Amino acid sequence: MTGRELHWRIQERDIVVRVEEANGNGVLRVNDRAVPFVVRDKTSSGGWLEIDGRNHQFFVSRTANHVAVWIDGHTYVLERIEKGRLLEAASTEHSSGEIRALMPGKVLRVDVKAGDTVAEHQTVVIMESMKMETSLTAPRAGKVTSVHCKPGQTVDMGEILAVIQS
Amino acid sequence: MISKVLVANRGEIAIRIFHTLREMGIRSVAVYTEVDSRSLHVRSADESARVENYLNTNEILRAAAETGADAIHPGYGFLSENGAFAEACEQAKLTFIGPRPQTIRRMGDKLESKRVMKEAGVPVVPTWDGEPPASAYPVLVKAVGGGGGKGMRLVEQPGDLNEAKAAASREAAKAFNDDRVFVEKYIRNPRHIEFQVFGDTLGSVVHIFERECSIQRRHQKVVEETPSPAVSPELRAKMGAAAVAAAQAVGYIGAGTVEFILSPDGQFYFLEMNTRLQVEHPVTEMTTGLDLVREQINVANGKPLSIKQTDLRQSGHALECRIYAEVPEENFRPDTGPIAVYRPPTGPGIRLDSGIEQNSEVGFHYDPMLVKLIIWAPTREASIERMQRALSEFVLLGVRNNMEFLHRVVSHADFKAGKIDTHFLERHAELRKPITNDVPLEALLAASLSSSDSRGARTTNGTTMTFDDVWQSGAWRNS
Repeated sequence: MTGRELHWRIQERDIVVRVEEANGNGVLRVNDRAVPFVVRDKTSSGGWLEIDGRNHQFFVSRTANHVAVWIDGHTYVLERIEKGRLLEAASTEHSSGEIRALMPGKVLRVDVKAGDTVAEHQTVVIMESMKMETSLTAPRAGKVTSVHCKPGQTVDMGEILAVIQS
Repeated sequence: MISKVLVANRGEIAIRIFHTLREMGIRSVAVYTEVDSRSLHVRSADESARVENYLNTNEILRAAAETGADAIHPGYGFLSENGAFAEACEQAKLTFIGPRPQTIRRMGDKLESKRVMKEAGVPVVPTWDGEPPASAYPVLVKAVGGGGGKGMRLVEQPGDLNEAKAAASREAAKAFNDDRVFVEKYIRNPRHIEFQVFGDTLGSVVHIFERECSIQRRHQKVVEETPSPAVSPELRAKMGAAAVAAAQAVGYIGAGTVEFILSPDGQFYFLEMNTRLQVEHPVTEMTTGLDLVREQINVANGKPLSIKQTDLRQSGHALECRIYAEVPEENFRPDTGPIAVYRPPTGPGIRLDSGIEQNSEVGFHYDPMLVKLIIWAPTREASIERMQRALSEFVLLGVRNNMEFLHRVVSHADFKAGKIDTHFLERHAELRKPITNDVPLEALLAASLSSSDSRGARTTNGTTMTFDDVWQSGAWRNS
């Protein structure tokens, strides 16, 4: 059986899960429990599984580090984390420390300039979108190598606003 | 007779109007902006025309001329309550499906509409230019030039009035370029009760009962229903008569809504009149069997109303939930993205007015409302059970939304008991968050199995990577 370990964060709670599965049969290990399961059908958007003696239809949708699961009439949103830290949005795997706009909107404030040293979680840019303010923070401590926006500028989702080298 | 209607709107309401046009054998034209070019409503009409902006009168008229439309349906929002637009349509020899321009203008002016109502004997919330009597408190200081909470102050006692007026005036000047304020009686724990009215060109006016819209957040309606659990037959007759008097006072033609607030002591007061079809009109349709858009078109064609007040009856109970692309758990922040999985509920008593489908791209340019889920059942209790069922069966993944929140709202004991008012959501702020943090095993399993799927996750720059690839490549390295 192939086994994998996944770390999930659900509403500030972290859960570690081990899944072993071969040919549709497997074991789920969570919190010292080992629960057998059967995968009856699986596609990229969902499937059927049997666990604890009950059948469950489910649907899933994934973005870079979130998974939304509908099962038994409820929707859960889980974040993938790595050993206690939030996985960065996939964009950062190309070059660490790219601060990107999470939504389209307007830049309100830029709190850093090139050459500044920043601490982990320090606010770099404050944006506004649909009347909500969002603070974009440094994922880890480092130095600001470049700033690509200024207050008042309209930006698209995913646009790079600043780059931090760690 | 109208033969081709251009719907100057988008999303679910445009689609809903196209349905009726098709049933009546009338050709339909959709308009769309660049960001909406792949939206569902564009494909739902017989023809479509590109416009720069839904709010641009010249663009809409140009599209009508190019497509040969002879009538415009403005939907709700956008240009629907714009007197100048209605007039421009008339001047372009297009039938504007709605009331006359002067009616739109009169009812659009808050002070003028109240004056008209007072003259017609419709109760209005008492207002004062100067100082209200001590017995009138608490009062609200409000801006003349606009709403949305700007330039508004609650005053509990006479001593605080002057300072509140000064502060409100400063805020109003900034927000509306108009520093005028007035004082209005403040009704505690009001219920929002609105009446559907309809008038024809021959002078007949009817009311088609009430809708209760008390479940609101920041003046945005979330859940609506009819009949209202707070309205007895006697009160319905009184408020209905007032709504009809209001419409008659302005010679109302077409569909309109008279909004009242109902205070806990049973007094009701005119708030404002909306000179268009409302978002929540489906609950009225579900309990009466009427198609309000069909009635609008018949009236616009000069036909008399097909219904008499004495014939109108309501049957059963209807509830509507507005599904928004918002995340209540994160202070209702908006969400965007493609709809990955869209499986609406089916079965008896379910109506869906949706602007989206599988793979639709939800953006940030327009209103975040995705779908209206409307339920009909024989009783209020049964309609709540059916709404709970429908919400739980609805799979909508890819864009975060408020369905779990809506389920908690309609399941709340006070909602079930009909103990609601416009402060319900503030009072029960805990409803934003799930009741428990627990995630069942099967959900964890489903998520974990899907994260092993070789199709992988979409990255923000569009390339596809599997979690396996990324894990192995070491790109998630700790720094």
